[in-house]
Amino acid sequence: MALQNFDMNYGAQFGSLWPSIRIGLLSEQKYGALVNNFSHVGRISQDLRSLNAVDFVYESQKAALHVPWDSPVEQVRSEETAPEETRNEQLSVEKTQTPPLLSTSISPNIKCYTFSRGNISRFPPSRPDTSGILGYYLLDAASLLPVLVLNVQPGDLVLDLCAAPGGKTLALLQTGCCRQLAANDISASRVSRLRKVLDSYVPKAVGSNVRLTSWDGRNWGELERDTYNRVLVDVPCTTDRHSVMEEDNNIFHRLRMKERQMLPMLQMQLLLAGLLAAQPGGEVVYSTCSLSQLQNECVVERAVELAEIQFNISVHVEDLSYFRSVFQDTFSFFKDCRLGELVLPHLTANFGPMYFCKLRREQ
Amino acid sequence: AQAGPHAASFCPLLNSGCRLVFVAASEWSGGSSSSTGWEQDSDEPAHNGQLLEAVHLVLAVQQRHANIESSELEKVLDSFSNMGFSNAQIMELFSLQPKFAPEMRLMVVCELILLGLDPDSTLMVLQRSPEVLRMTAQQLRHRADCLRKLGLGEGNLQRVLRRYPTIFTLPWKKIDAVVRMFKTCLFPVAQVTEILQSCPNVLLEEPQDLEYKFQYAYFRMGIDHRVMVKSGLFRMSLAELKNRHIFLERLGLYQTPDKKGQTQIVNPKLKEIIRVSQKDFLAKMAHSSLEEFEVFRKLLAREEEEDQARVSEETDSDSDGEEERSEIE
Repeated sequence: MALQNFDMNYGAQFGSLWPSIRIGLLSEQKYGALVNNFSHVGRISQDLRSLNAVDFVYESQKAALHVPWDSPVEQVRSEETAPEETRNEQLSVEKTQTPPLLSTSISPNIKCYTFSRGNISRFPPSRPDTSGILGYYLLDAASLLPVLVLNVQPGDLVLDLCAAPGGKTLALLQTGCCRQLAANDISASRVSRLRKVLDSYVPKAVGSNVRLTSWDGRNWGELERDTYNRVLVDVPCTTDRHSVMEEDNNIFHRLRMKERQMLPMLQMQLLLAGLLAAQPGGEVVYSTCSLSQLQNECVVERAVELAEIQFNISVHVEDLSYFRSVFQDTFSFFKDCRLGELVLPHLTANFGPMYFCKLRREQ
Repeated sequence: AQAGPHAASFCPLLNSGCRLVFVAASEWSGGSSSSTGWEQDSDEPAHNGQLLEAVHLVLAVQQRHANIESSELEKVLDSFSNMGFSNAQIMELFSLQPKFAPEMRLMVVCELILLGLDPDSTLMVLQRSPEVLRMTAQQLRHRADCLRKLGLGEGNLQRVLRRYPTIFTLPWKKIDAVVRMFKTCLFPVAQVTEILQSCPNVLLEEPQDLEYKFQYAYFRMGIDHRVMVKSGLFRMSLAELKNRHIFLERLGLYQTPDKKGQTQIVNPKLKEIIRVSQKDFLAKMAHSSLEEFEVFRKLLAREEEEDQARVSEETDSDSDGEEERSEIE
């Protein structure tokens, strides 16, 4: 069902790239192991390295030091320099003369191990340590990119508007920067699952900084306006990879057509709510795991437009091509996104699809 | 040289002889044209006494049939020469499967020559499949007759012998099972013949594997019998067939036809999928990279392995259940 729809829509959208994306979607995806900083980090990292996995976040940043600074990509990036803060000593060495390093513009402390290009090994399931805490969380490594790009700073108030199943929420907590994290999901059952995830990964003391709710995210503008430094809006979508592989409860089922058609509207309302919940100057990341332009760029464009017209809020959409260049060894990015970035499934790096776009609410 | 110590007690000539055989053999295999005494020139009509001595020595070293009369051995050697074998080739013939007597050797070789092989091919066949020497002339003749009846007539028969000599040593039941399987799969007799002529290797494969390959092409790929035969389906291994077909299928370039035999895209021809090099397949058909295909192969192999494991697990648990039931009874 989903596949026929994709062949028609994505065939037109991606042209000659579509077959290679298609075979990626239909073949086993790759995972990343998000290291749990609340467990024995050293031992866990060592175990993962002994499997021949590498921390792609660390490796990418290391490689980024060698990215030529005169590239046009970098010039675009330097216009939107984030305040220079030194959190990662290792990477701050060369900071003086060069433009700001990536370490100052991505969320810190996130470690995620993946197998290199073309390596199809799998991670064994994580086992609990003596205190019952699990050492790593397996997820599509591309789903960390929205969290990395959110650039959480120490002391930030953070909102995760559509938090379940919890991989991104957990990653936000790994930064160790959230003064308060509000994690919400409209479905109560999904929130209770999210709670279980947090219980297995996060000590009680840290968990108490997390507020779990199951409200309708679309209303956040009325609930907590102008409140958060950082907002993650990881919306419900056609979950493309899941939809081609699983028949059960498939969003492309005839009976869910209406719901599917309403998705872009729902997504736009959620993004708008996220923008309203952000403080002026605050940053919002919109993300989906769909390839559909209609659910990605179009939603961002409409939301920015509506924020301006209806709420007189001006929103700046950030250029992420520098971010893309840093992570392009690990992921296969689509080169022609109008706004934001899109990770394409590809047999040799079978992550994604993952779309993400960063917006800054102007003062 | 390994047999040295034992052979030494048997034959006093060994020390010099062994070296002679060794040196000579290495020269033959190197294709050297130097003439060391008993190595005859091609226009020399027959062997000389030195060949006889050398063959005796081989037999002595092998500790087999060493007590054969020189006159008998000479007759055998004469026959080989008359059939066109060079002295070097005769030495090769005697180095194969020492346990068979010179006369048996002669009979088999004779039969192969009668089947239309030249001395070079005969030697090659015996080197590749020394077990052919175990056959009697009658068995070989009978097998040839049976293969002819299956449509492997002159020309084809020699090709089969050269490429797949073991087809002559297989139990007939095995060959019959393959042929019957093709008939059960509703290939007309003429097509079975065509398959045997173009892909004689099928006779060496397991009937159930061939049947699975047929079913895969018929049901999964929607290929009819005639196209399978014309495209040489049975020449490609099942694993590689699946690799290429499923690769194309997931790329969106191949579809299983529906009940009416229709597809929404035009499928490529079977021939274009299986009868091209991997390089051309990737460049012209799949429009994909070698890197992607390599990863795909690995992934598919793992998928299949895990499917198989799941299936056998299910069957295991079924039979477990039966055991339990019988225990209760």
